[in-house]
Amino acid sequence: MKFKDTLGYSFSAIRLRKLRSGLTTLGIVIGIAAIVALLSFTQGFEVSITDQFQDGFSTDTLIVSAQNPMQVPGGGVEPSDFTMYTNDSESIETVDGVIFATPLVSSRATIESDLTSTTAEVTGVNYTEFAALYSTTFVAELGAIPEEPANDSVIIGQSLYDPWNNGTYFVDIGDSLTVTINAGLPTEKNVTLTVVGVLAEVGGSSFGVGPSDSGVYLTLDTAVDFFESDEVKSIVVQLVSDNEATINAVTLDIEALFDYEATVTSMTSLLDTMTTMLGTIELLLTGIAGISLLVAGVGIMNIMIVSLMERTREIGILKALGAKGRTVMGIFLTEALLIGVIGGVVGIAAGALLANLFSGLLGGGFTMGGRTPSDLSFGTITPILTPELALWAMFFGVVVSVVFALYPAWRASKLDPVDALRKE
Amino acid sequence: MNTNTVLEVQDLKRTYQLGSIPVHALRGVSFQVNAGEFVSVLGPSGSGKSTLLNMIGALDRPSEGTLAIRGTEVGTLNDNQLAELRQRVGFVFQFFNLISRLDAIGNVELPLTIAGVPAEERRAKAEQMLEKVGLGDRMHHKPSELSGGERQRVAVARALVTDPSFLLMDEPTGNLDSVTAGEIMDLVDTVNQELGMTVIVVTHDPDVSSRARRKIRLVDGQIDSDEVNNN
Ligand SMILES: Nc1ncnc2c1ncn2[C@@H]1O[C@H](COP(=O)(O)OP(=O)(O)O)[C@@H](O)[C@H]1O
Ligand SMILES: [Mg+2]
Repeated sequence: MKFKDTLGYSFSAIRLRKLRSGLTTLGIVIGIAAIVALLSFTQGFEVSITDQFQDGFSTDTLIVSAQNPMQVPGGGVEPSDFTMYTNDSESIETVDGVIFATPLVSSRATIESDLTSTTAEVTGVNYTEFAALYSTTFVAELGAIPEEPANDSVIIGQSLYDPWNNGTYFVDIGDSLTVTINAGLPTEKNVTLTVVGVLAEVGGSSFGVGPSDSGVYLTLDTAVDFFESDEVKSIVVQLVSDNEATINAVTLDIEALFDYEATVTSMTSLLDTMTTMLGTIELLLTGIAGISLLVAGVGIMNIMIVSLMERTREIGILKALGAKGRTVMGIFLTEALLIGVIGGVVGIAAGALLANLFSGLLGGGFTMGGRTPSDLSFGTITPILTPELALWAMFFGVVVSVVFALYPAWRASKLDPVDALRKE
Repeated sequence: MNTNTVLEVQDLKRTYQLGSIPVHALRGVSFQVNAGEFVSVLGPSGSGKSTLLNMIGALDRPSEGTLAIRGTEVGTLNDNQLAELRQRVGFVFQFFNLISRLDAIGNVELPLTIAGVPAEERRAKAEQMLEKVGLGDRMHHKPSELSGGERQRVAVARALVTDPSFLLMDEPTGNLDSVTAGEIMDLVDTVNQELGMTVIVVTHDPDVSSRARRKIRLVDGQIDSDEVNNN
């Protein structure tokens, strides 16, 4: 029997039992849709996170900090009383492979313009060095990043500048901005600064390092004076290259320099950790979706065994007309193949729809309301349905259908024609 | 062996195993059929008629003895070879055994489809055969839209479309009224006389067997009589 004819014959069998075939296919549709939705969503999530990393940081940098930036608060590790100061950057600069190291001092503060007030993370940085480190993100859209800034200079992030996203600006270039720390406490103090620059939109979250849309950047000296402390949050190190050997060697040297009390994090390793984490999540989700597909497979097997009993006579007729065992097997496997293909196509479409719906619910896709300065968003997660993912989903749908149909199809092929024809 | 012999049966036995009890459906049957013959097989229910016909139709293998179709020994064939042999045997059953979701022409085409005959060729042959059995205007009717007699005509067309070695019929009129049965047998007569088709028909019906030119009577799995029809 020619494959084209087998296909036609199998299709007529599927069409005859519409409800049953539909329900069988539905199992495959759900399994495939789950795989496609979950994976395209995680892939979108991964890309959005990776993008932010690549936007926010350079791979040829290290972050040296007194505390582990990835450490979960209350994670069981005893907080150390080790601290670092601005001049520690000078000792880091003596390490081979380091071009320069720049300290970041920061504090949460209340900032007030003529219009309103809000709270933000206020960071003291060396403008020139920070701009060199983050050449793609520490870029002024309005005003400029002065090379020799006045002491009262301040640069603000895009979402602080335009918090409602509607053209009503928090402050403008040349306006003054009052920064207050310890608001309401006896030690409350403030300083009034002049806005010299507004950063272009960075996008996403800065993860605590690198320029942020909600950041407020003063000069290092002003910040140290104002905070009355030269304790640093972290020191960012510019390396000569981003190859692994350099990163590892410099990391070890800096760790030794601080008696292994400081935490040195390379952006590459942070990215790796993130990727590994996402990989694990992805694997877990695939597993769950895979199980639903297996359940669908068992459904197919069940339905096929039932229909085998109903179609015994038909099989007998086919054999009496000269059909070989493999022809009969081919007919049943083709039915499963068709269910797999139809289920795959519908499942991929349903999965894509589901992923988009899901991302819409999470705030992606649709923009609802304006941004707020304190908004820590992961950006818009656009689900990514790659052709590979679609192909793999299709492949698994078909393989599961066909594999679970093997046993019933084999049984059909082994039926004795005389016995089959005697069946009422 | 005569070159004209299409079927040669030698001491054929078929034993079924019902649990531990052997059922001797055929206890040693021998006869020959020549091309163009019209043979009827008679006998009481349970005498082994269907068992014999199934073996002639290559649906089953002998337990003992030999059965050769155009010189091919059925007992030595494997399942695939047996299936290929069946593609050259026309079988008509009491219960029509049509595929209900296929229309008349789809059913007639089916043995050719199974044999891998190209679509156009098989469609042409099926149309021709349906015309021949008088169903030229019923080609696209489903079995459920046809009368019993029409269904059996479709079954005859399906049996003949492969240009088989012989036409085997197992109680072909068992489900039809006598008028329709007569029409079907007229058709079989025509096929036998005009095409020279060898016909072996198992029947209870004296009207049917009287048309045959040779009667084989089976009793209890053995040939009771094998004689030329004298009317
Ligand atoms: N598959 C089978 N298993 C057991 N016994 C069978 C089987 N097929 C036929 N028989 C028995 O063999 C005998 C002959 O059956 P059959 O050839 O169908 O008779 P007929 O067609 O002459 O009525 C009967 O006794 C029947 O019960
Ligand atoms: Mg019988």
